[in-house]
Amino acid sequence: MMLLADFGTTYAKFIDLAAAKPLPYLEPAKNISPELRVDMATGHNGKRFTDYYVNELIALARGGEQLISDEDFTLLDCGSRDIKFVRYEKGVLADMGWNAECGASMGFTIELLGRYYNLDYHQVPVPKKSFSVTCGVLGMSQIFDEISAGSGEEQAVASFVKSIAINAFRFAGEPARIHLSGGLCDNPLFVKSFPGEVIPMGRFVLLKGLAVMAKKLKGQP
Amino acid sequence: MVSSPIDISFLKTLPAGAAVGIVGVPPLAVMAILEKGAATIFDLDESLVKQDMEETILYLPRVYCAILRTVVINSLHLDLQAIIIDVGPGKCDCALHVATILADRLAIPVITTRNLDTTPFATPLCKTEMALPEKMARICTSIQTTGRHRPLPACQATAGFWGVPPRDFSLLALFPATTHVYGWSRCMENKTPADLALENHFNPHFPTVFFAQSFCAKTALAKHLASQHPRALFVDCDVTAGSSVRAKIQAFLELSGVYDASC
Repeated sequence: MMLLADFGTTYAKFIDLAAAKPLPYLEPAKNISPELRVDMATGHNGKRFTDYYVNELIALARGGEQLISDEDFTLLDCGSRDIKFVRYEKGVLADMGWNAECGASMGFTIELLGRYYNLDYHQVPVPKKSFSVTCGVLGMSQIFDEISAGSGEEQAVASFVKSIAINAFRFAGEPARIHLSGGLCDNPLFVKSFPGEVIPMGRFVLLKGLAVMAKKLKGQP
Repeated sequence: MVSSPIDISFLKTLPAGAAVGIVGVPPLAVMAILEKGAATIFDLDESLVKQDMEETILYLPRVYCAILRTVVINSLHLDLQAIIIDVGPGKCDCALHVATILADRLAIPVITTRNLDTTPFATPLCKTEMALPEKMARICTSIQTTGRHRPLPACQATAGFWGVPPRDFSLLALFPATTHVYGWSRCMENKTPADLALENHFNPHFPTVFFAQSFCAKTALAKHLASQHPRALFVDCDVTAGSSVRAKIQAFLELSGVYDASC
C-alpha cells in the first residue's frame, strides 16, 4: 500500500498508488480514525496522520502543473476552510496566495446555509445582486439583514454565494479564465457566479500533486 | 495632556550605565552620547518581556502595528531611565504617536529624534552567508554602536528578503543562508534609516519575499515593489507568523527553485 491523503476540514481525499487501478476517493473527515497513518499527506489536518507532510500550496501547484497543459494559468482552490491560488506564466510560478484568515470558512458556511435553508444549489439561479462580504462568518449577518429587508431566503443565500465567488475571483487576480479546484467545484451556483470563464477541476488536484511528488521520490517518471 | 519635547542634551545628564530604551534607529550623535555614558541599551522594537500583548489595548487600538505594540509592552515592564524614539522618515508616523502616548503615560523622559543621517556604513551582513535569523539579529544589534562594521565576504544570493526585521523572527528560518537582505533592514545596517532610495532597492535576479508587518504603512511599499519584481511574494503578518504565512513563504521558495539552488 502507498496511501496518500489530502485531509481537508470536512472531507479527506485518498488514493492508494499501490492499487492495481489507483482511484481517488472521499471520506467525511469526522469518520477518519485518529490512529490512521498514511505515507504522504497534505491539507489542513494532514500533519496528524503522517511523517511526510506536504505544504498545501506546493501540492496544489504540483497538481496544477500535472493536470493543466497551458503554460499560463491560474488555479484557485476553494475548500471548506480557506482559499488559495497559484498563477503560472510561461510555465513558471508568477504569483500565489493563501487566505486562511479573511477567507475563513467560506465553503463550510455555504454548505451549512444550504442545509439550514434546505436549498438545492443545482436549482438556485445566479442572482443579479451581490454584497460586500469579508469572510464566510461575517457574511452571515448580511444574509440575515437581506432577509429582514424582505428578500427571500433563497435569494439572500444566493447573493451571499455570488459575493463569495467574486471575492475568490478578485483574490486570484481576476483572470479571464480560471481553473477551479476544491469542494466548491461541486456547487453549480458558486461556479456559475464567477465573472469569467471557469474550468472546474474537481476535488482531487492536491492529491494529484502528492502523487506526482511520491512518484518523483520513488524515481518514477 | 501632551508632554513637552525633551532635548537630547538631557541624555548627557544620565548616570553611567543608565538603562535606556531605543525605538527605531536613533541618530549617530545620540548613540555616541549613549556609548560615552556606557548606557545599557534596550531595543524596544524587539520582544524583550514575556507579557501578554493584550495589555497594550489600554494604550493602543488592538489593530495596530505589532512592533509598536511591542514597544509599548516593553516600555511598561522594563525598568528604564529614558526612552529615545526615532520618528519621521527613518521610522514612521505611528512611532511619533506612540512617543506622545508613552510621554504622557510614563514617569521617565521620552525623547523623540529624527534620524536624517546620510553617511553610509555599508551592508556586509545583508550580503554574507549566514542563517537569516542570526543575520537579522546582528543587523538589529549593529545599530547600538557607532563603530564601523567588520568586513564579511559576500555570498552568491539565491533569494532575497525585503523588509523590516519581523516581530516573529521564526519566519526567517524558512530562508536559506544565502538570502540577501533588502529594504529597511538594509538601511538599518547602513545606519541611514531614512534613505528611501536604498529602501526601494531590490535585485530582480532572484526570488524575493517582500515582507511588512500588518497595519504598517510599509505594506503599501512592499506590495508595490513586489508587483515590480518578476519573482516576488508579498506577505504581511501580525504578532506571530501563522501557518498560512509560513506555508506561503515555504511554497514560494520551493516552487521558485530556491531550495534546490541553495543545496
